[in-house]
Amino acid sequence: MAERPEDLNLPNAVVGRIIKEAIPEGVNVSKEARLAISKAASVFVLYATSCSNNYALKAKRKTISAQDVLSAMEEMEFEQFIDPLAEALEAFRNQQQGKKEAIAEKKKKTTDSNTSGEGQGDEDKEGSEEEDDVTYQGEEKEDYIITVNEDDDEVEEVDDS
Amino acid sequence: MADKITSTLPLSRVKTIMKSSPDVSSISQEALFTTGKATELFIQALAKFSLEQSSDSSSLEYKDLAEIVNTESTLQFLQDIIPRKIKVRDYYKICEKREQSEK
Repeated sequence: MAERPEDLNLPNAVVGRIIKEAIPEGVNVSKEARLAISKAASVFVLYATSCSNNYALKAKRKTISAQDVLSAMEEMEFEQFIDPLAEALEAFRNQQQGKKEAIAEKKKKTTDSNTSGEGQGDEDKEGSEEEDDVTYQGEEKEDYIITVNEDDDEVEEVDDS
Repeated sequence: MADKITSTLPLSRVKTIMKSSPDVSSISQEALFTTGKATELFIQALAKFSLEQSSDSSSLEYKDLAEIVNTESTLQFLQDIIPRKIKVRDYYKICEKREQSEK
């Protein structure tokens, strides 16, 4: 699964917007500065990933967990990020929980409506509900794992960016 | 410190970058989300901090970034990504000095 070089940087438009949100109104950011920050952000992702991967390997796990990323932040001396990240993670978990309950409810509702005979076709809507660009491995696992399959290329990966 | 970040980085792109780093085998959905969010915080911190250090606070230039990357220890990993710019003639001077010192 060879990545094209241009895949390895973050979209400049989004980076530009994030920068604007951080600095006061009316401050102009030179194009060169914006590109440098965007490149630095990609390198930050790589740096954080290799640090957190070390934590996962040390704990003899093959999957990088959120906790590994938080410990990596500390090691990289970005402790000030840990609290906001923990907060964001909590919100993300609740949102994921909410999504799962919504899907479960819908499944229950469609089975009830089927048994009661009308059976209007909202199954296909439910299919689009679960769109996600990660491959699920095993329903019972709490954490959906993104697997890196080196041999076959990522045919089923829907890139919705 | 983290004011409300409205725009978020596309996690599929972050995932591609993460998977390109060697010996990474798999990444949990939460780790992907956390790394994406950390990168957003990093972009904000980098922009804010270099603006504060900049001489002209109404504009953010490349040299402001290069300045803090080369002085701030936590940003050492960016030194070859955002190097300080030097003029060609200074570069020649450095080469001459190096040659003399080697003779």
